[in-house]
Amino acid sequence: MTDVQVGEKSTSNSAPANMTVKGKEAELKPAAENNKPFNYKRISDDDLYRHSSQYRMWSYTRDQLQEKRIDTNARAIAYIEENLLKVREASNLTEEEIKVLEDKAIPLTMEEELGLVNFYAKKVQVIAQHLNLPTEVVATAISFFRRFFLENSVMQIDPKSIVHTTIFLACKSENYFISVDSFAQKAKSTRESILKFEFKLLESLKFSLLNHHPYKPLHGFFLDIQNVLYGKVDLNYMGQIYDRCKKRITAAILTDVVYFYTPPQITLATLLIEDEALVTRYLEMKFPSRENSQEPVSESGEKEEQNDTNTTKKNKEQNLDDGKSPIDSAKLLAIIRECKSLIEEPKPLSTEEAKKIAAKNYYCQNPLTLIQKLKRKMNEDTPAAEKRQKI
Amino acid sequence: MEYTKEKKVGEGTYAVVYLGSQHSTGRKIAVKEIKTSEFKDGLDMSAIREVKYLQEMQHPNVIELVDIFMAYDNLNLVLEFLPTDLEVVIKDKSILFTPADIKAWILMTLRGVYHCHRNFILHRDLKPNNLLFSPDGQIKVADFGLARAIPAPHEILTSNVVTRWYRAPELLFGAKHYTSAIDIWSVGVIFAELMLRIPYLPGQNDVDQMEVTFRALGTPTDRDWPEVSSFMTYNKLQIYPPPSRDELRKRFIAASEYALDFMCGMLTMNPQKRWTAVQCLESDYFKELPSPSDPSTIKIHS
Repeated sequence: MTDVQVGEKSTSNSAPANMTVKGKEAELKPAAENNKPFNYKRISDDDLYRHSSQYRMWSYTRDQLQEKRIDTNARAIAYIEENLLKVREASNLTEEEIKVLEDKAIPLTMEEELGLVNFYAKKVQVIAQHLNLPTEVVATAISFFRRFFLENSVMQIDPKSIVHTTIFLACKSENYFISVDSFAQKAKSTRESILKFEFKLLESLKFSLLNHHPYKPLHGFFLDIQNVLYGKVDLNYMGQIYDRCKKRITAAILTDVVYFYTPPQITLATLLIEDEALVTRYLEMKFPSRENSQEPVSESGEKEEQNDTNTTKKNKEQNLDDGKSPIDSAKLLAIIRECKSLIEEPKPLSTEEAKKIAAKNYYCQNPLTLIQKLKRKMNEDTPAAEKRQKI
Repeated sequence: MEYTKEKKVGEGTYAVVYLGSQHSTGRKIAVKEIKTSEFKDGLDMSAIREVKYLQEMQHPNVIELVDIFMAYDNLNLVLEFLPTDLEVVIKDKSILFTPADIKAWILMTLRGVYHCHRNFILHRDLKPNNLLFSPDGQIKVADFGLARAIPAPHEILTSNVVTRWYRAPELLFGAKHYTSAIDIWSVGVIFAELMLRIPYLPGQNDVDQMEVTFRALGTPTDRDWPEVSSFMTYNKLQIYPPPSRDELRKRFIAASEYALDFMCGMLTMNPQKRWTAVQCLESDYFKELPSPSDPSTIKIHS
């Protein structure tokens, strides 16, 4: 369980971290010195992660992500505005009617879209958890949903109509099969509405279904922290941290950190939220800084101090053996702090705000209902006014 | 259309396979058309698994997923064109192959399997029929319709995987937990089959498969596989002694001592002691002479 090195950069497309701690068993042991071919190169877990579809297709820099959202939004706006223009040209509208359209039939901004997507992504989580699905299935459903709306606008496909579809596909993809009929029954939906957009969803996901979530790295760090800080951490306490981090990870999956950071980085960020001192100590021990090669002085007994020295030395040797540059804990901490602040940032929409945006979304797609509403209102107004006059 | 379907070459339970070509490059390809309309639960699980795992793997010894597209409500997987498979080659008695050829094939197979395992993927259906040949003689691990992620320790799995003759003893016992060791067992059986040129453990049915397996390799006992006797079906078993080295030498006449070590490593009953893909790849069998043949020079067509 020593295999938890974390890549140094995150926002640029360069060095992702190991995704799981199981890597050790699969890693090639160095062959006998003389038998190595001239081009011998060990494939690291970071190399493997770089080949994953999650990294190739769904990891972005902040600018790339922003650009992607602006693009998707702009495409939908162009479509909506074209439609609005047609409506205005086709029907003979009164001045009042035109004014209503100008006031109320307005496409959503990118920010409004994002707010709505995140609002419904939270719904995906709540519904999936209500269906008692395993944590990984819930996480996959959330990530499918959010990825779908990087490619599609809520002005083209109603997020409500895709909620059950993402959960159902996530079940199948995570090998947690439920028949569509029993799923429909449990979710109070119908077979047709669940399957209607399944292809569209798969296509929008670019047929990339394998998700690396931060839960496995959490288990790895949970074990490794106990190993590195042996005798200095309370097992019960670690158990509590584990459970709380699991929840924090699910919350983190609802944010953009999944596009910027690798799963183990996100895990470390959630651990940092729980216990900053613990993580800092663990990382400094695990990856002692190069300039400051002095062993950290332990405040407890001598015996432990000796233990520390041993582990530290061992780590150093391992790093050298591997021919990898030792990881700089300070640099790593800076990355994780950045990630942490992003996890803590989001302020989700209130139901009220979401309703308002949803209404706006509806009217920009269905401008004629605005006009009908106006007409109805005027019809109601007129008789009432007449009545009043009579009195 | 970027791809043409020229000739139907196969039909399975959930897909039809066509040969065709890619317009822009002229490259020969195979198109696996998933019959979606046949499934009442939407996209079929096998199709989902195949798409999911092939997307993650780029390796010379794993079949390449070139593209995916939708047409007429069908899902189409565009795969690299692989003209034949190991089963065909083994059965075609007019094809002669040498120990060096076998070494080359099993080496390529293990590289592909190792790539799956280091990506935390279990194949769960390795057999000669799923080891395809590229035109230049490379072995490609194919058919990921039964694949899954390497499970977490507590996960309960179905033991009803892998085609019978290639099924590891823990699966025969109906184990609910197993590891990548099941794939290595299959490779071991394939290796034996390559040397014998007939199936090594051809059970008639699931019960007979245990009989055949343990008669050939010895019934596992608690001594070398702790608590194996606690499997439900264990009590009904006939206890066979493991084969002596001489018996193995007689059965596998052309095999070197290292080749036998290599085979026994893969066909170890206890999955925890069975060799891993890395151990196999580093075995002395690959270091001794003859060196593996150059795959492109092996004649695989009669």
